[in-house]
Amino acid sequence: MRYVGAMRSLLCLLVALAGPAAAADRAFPFAVQEKVLANGLRIYAIPCDSPGIVSYYSVVRTGSRQEIEPGRSGFAHFFEHMMFRGTPRYSEGAYNTALKRIGADSNAWTWRDQTVYHITATAQALPLLVDLEADRFQHLQYTEADFQKESRAVLGEYNKSAADPSLLMEETLVDAAFTAHTYKHTTIGFLKDVEGMPGLFDYSRTFFDRWYRPENVVVIVAGDVDPAALFAEAEKQYGGWARGAATPPIPVEPPQDAERRRSLTWPSPTLPQLLMGWKVPAFSTTERDPAALEVLAAVVFAERAPLYRKLVLEDQTVDSLSADTAQYVDPFLFTVTAKVKDPAQMAAVEAAIHAELARVAAEGVDEKTLAEVKQRARYGFAASLATAEGVASKAAWFVSLTGRIESIDAWQAQIAAVTVDDLKRVAGTYFVPSRRTVISLVSEVK
Amino acid sequence: MRALALALVAATLAACGAAPTAPGPAAGPRFVVQEAAANPLVAIRLVFEVGAVDDPPGKEGLAALTGAMLAEAGSAKRTYAELLDALYPMAARLDLHVDRELTTLSGTVHRDNLDAYVDLLLDQVLTPRFDAADFTRLRERALDALTKTLRSEDDEALGKEALEAALYAGHPYGHPVVGTEAGLRAITLDDVRAFHAQQLTQARLIVGLGGGVPPGLADRLRARLAALPATGPARAALPPAPALVGQHLFLVDKPGRSTAISIGHPLGITRKDPDFIPLFLAASYLGEHRTFNGVLMQNMRGKRGLNYGDYAYVEAFVQDGWSTLPLPNILRQQQRFEIWVRPVPADKAGFALRQALYETDRLLKEGIPEAGFEETRDYLLAFSRLWTQDADRRIGYAVDGVLAGGELAAALQARLPTLTRDEVNAALRKHLSTANLVAVLAGPDAAALQAKLLSGEATPLVYDTEGTPAEILAEDKIIEVYPLALDPARIRTVPAATLFDR
Repeated sequence: MRYVGAMRSLLCLLVALAGPAAAADRAFPFAVQEKVLANGLRIYAIPCDSPGIVSYYSVVRTGSRQEIEPGRSGFAHFFEHMMFRGTPRYSEGAYNTALKRIGADSNAWTWRDQTVYHITATAQALPLLVDLEADRFQHLQYTEADFQKESRAVLGEYNKSAADPSLLMEETLVDAAFTAHTYKHTTIGFLKDVEGMPGLFDYSRTFFDRWYRPENVVVIVAGDVDPAALFAEAEKQYGGWARGAATPPIPVEPPQDAERRRSLTWPSPTLPQLLMGWKVPAFSTTERDPAALEVLAAVVFAERAPLYRKLVLEDQTVDSLSADTAQYVDPFLFTVTAKVKDPAQMAAVEAAIHAELARVAAEGVDEKTLAEVKQRARYGFAASLATAEGVASKAAWFVSLTGRIESIDAWQAQIAAVTVDDLKRVAGTYFVPSRRTVISLVSEVK
Repeated sequence: MRALALALVAATLAACGAAPTAPGPAAGPRFVVQEAAANPLVAIRLVFEVGAVDDPPGKEGLAALTGAMLAEAGSAKRTYAELLDALYPMAARLDLHVDRELTTLSGTVHRDNLDAYVDLLLDQVLTPRFDAADFTRLRERALDALTKTLRSEDDEALGKEALEAALYAGHPYGHPVVGTEAGLRAITLDDVRAFHAQQLTQARLIVGLGGGVPPGLADRLRARLAALPATGPARAALPPAPALVGQHLFLVDKPGRSTAISIGHPLGITRKDPDFIPLFLAASYLGEHRTFNGVLMQNMRGKRGLNYGDYAYVEAFVQDGWSTLPLPNILRQQQRFEIWVRPVPADKAGFALRQALYETDRLLKEGIPEAGFEETRDYLLAFSRLWTQDADRRIGYAVDGVLAGGELAAALQARLPTLTRDEVNAALRKHLSTANLVAVLAGPDAAALQAKLLSGEATPLVYDTEGTPAEILAEDKIIEVYPLALDPARIRTVPAATLFDR
């Protein structure tokens, strides 16, 4: 059976990577099998070419977006740490030892809309992985002392990042851009909240009960996996997990009505930086604008784009220039970051960015550029699926946003359908002062 | 069952391709080819035995800048902007990693675009444009990376670089790969041109090809790479690492919330030594990278909440991107033992330093426990099989195998099943030491920290958390006064703002 499974998945990989023509139809063409347990837990099995290896992803559709109570920023990420602290059946040490003995590569990450736990290990360890993961997602148990100690590891994580002004800039940007929505804080959380985490032991049980529920979790297993065997094992191990109660609503951000600006300084030498964010719609595979914004980011801010060529290569006034589109459950920000070489050039660089966005809104781009952006997207996406880890990781991202693996193909189809008129429309609609927040940072050291 | 399954994996990976290689320098570059015909992706690595050790004195940073002029500048045929334009639709990059001894240019591309990509890559390597504007941009970027990013924005990297500088003062490993401030300012475009002509030779090159390698690709590369000089000046033999006697403190003073700690000493062995795998296992037990496997991580982070992570290494280690896996092609002829204590609150730095030494000493005195030995052996046997899941990593590690006389993953599979706990304990006691080492502490209030540590006073861990078990508190009492053999003559304090100025 194992051999047959491996052959089938190899064929899937060949389809996935056959090239842009095939990818245009189904960007994620694996023979995905799906099982939904009676308690709402959704499981995807994705056989693919990864002989003897599986990647096991547990996607919790909760991130810092769900940190709704004051003083609780950063808690989703903190809770990710606590998930490694043991259960009555597998103590923290026993859990670690079990993973160690199978040579597993295991970790987790948290972002605004999701917390993702991932393990890559040998395929024959899969029943053990189901057992370990089902156990901790249902029966997590830790002491208050462990909870408090782990909170200081989170502070350590904050500290290691705090030397980089990027953290301060991101904190300032989202704090200024949002007034009501929980996107107002970063995923690591406000420092004062991180420092106060040791006192939140009771809240941690509330958080677990509220969000770590089967209807809010998706399990993805990619690689050398037999779907039927996986589903049977999952039914056995996860079947008794009870659904949760209704979850509290996320605050809605009111419309922004004017540009917001903040100026920061940094106590040691650093390049001056600009971080700009424009309010844009939530991720969607049914609306065109998010995909058009994704393409626009490449058209305007890629290293081969005219703006980069002028600012970084020709004028050499900018050290680095990049953009980040917004793939989030709720409306967030399209961000642009520029490290500028001379503080005196900050205004000119900002003006050049605005001018280029305005030019694209007025003139659009040539069809060749648009076609090359789409071609790059197809090749890049296909290349990201070269390993079980890559397949599971890509699936986890989309599933965390929409709950459904079908959104991968739907998203790629939206990207493929973007037109020049779409680019003009989104450039003109969203890159206006009333949607904009601008953060600047300069060194205090002359 | 586990052994059988692992054997099946091994057989599958082996079937992907062997590694024909190693004609002598006179016959051109060495090739490592690992074909997996069904894979539509092709990975290419050009690994030159050229690195920061080849920087001429006073021109520190020349190897890295030369690498940048190949990967991030123009060629005779096209400007850098035109290169970016050409690479863009392929979703391909020309990645560069310059290290102490090796320079790697690499990329993975769909075979639809392979021919065009190979042309781009070879044009960059064989006929760099040496454009003055590219040079100005890249040298300024390197200076900013050194004087701003490294000195003030990345305490962990700063601590690690400071450790290298302290361990290898006056040695070719003793300056950052990116260079020194004076070195970078002294480098001219002519220096880059000359370095390229003299150092990037066929004799210094290993070519790795992996994935869906089409017939004839190796021959095509070999034919074009013949345009490189066959050989160049002989590489100077590395001097031995400076003798290290006693415990040395290197304090890097900079503002901030926390203190980054890196501790280490030179090792007398590398992968080629029979003691390496026993030592590798010991380091994994002490502090496997980015896992909870190691006792440093369990006891410093897990039980005390000191920081985000604590790890140990017996060779230079760079994490490969966001993965936890080791970046290939950073091998060195000389290695060192290193403990990486991620930033701790500044008031806990003294305790953290003492605990890292306490845990290491305990391993040296008591040896690895039987259960820890068995678990770590099982871990390394299985985990090392995850290192080569994609073609790029696979050929990267295969190239390392050429340099080291065999692949580490294969050596682990061969050696671990018969390795004994006694061999591990003998190796770690022979090669590791806490008596002769350098500890770098990069953070605020260096003068106060120096005075405190020199005084011999306790550096107690004051918890702002509750519920610490009695046995941990009792052990803390031992750790807070754990003896440090410090001497003012072996303590140096440098402001971060002047570090690596020359």
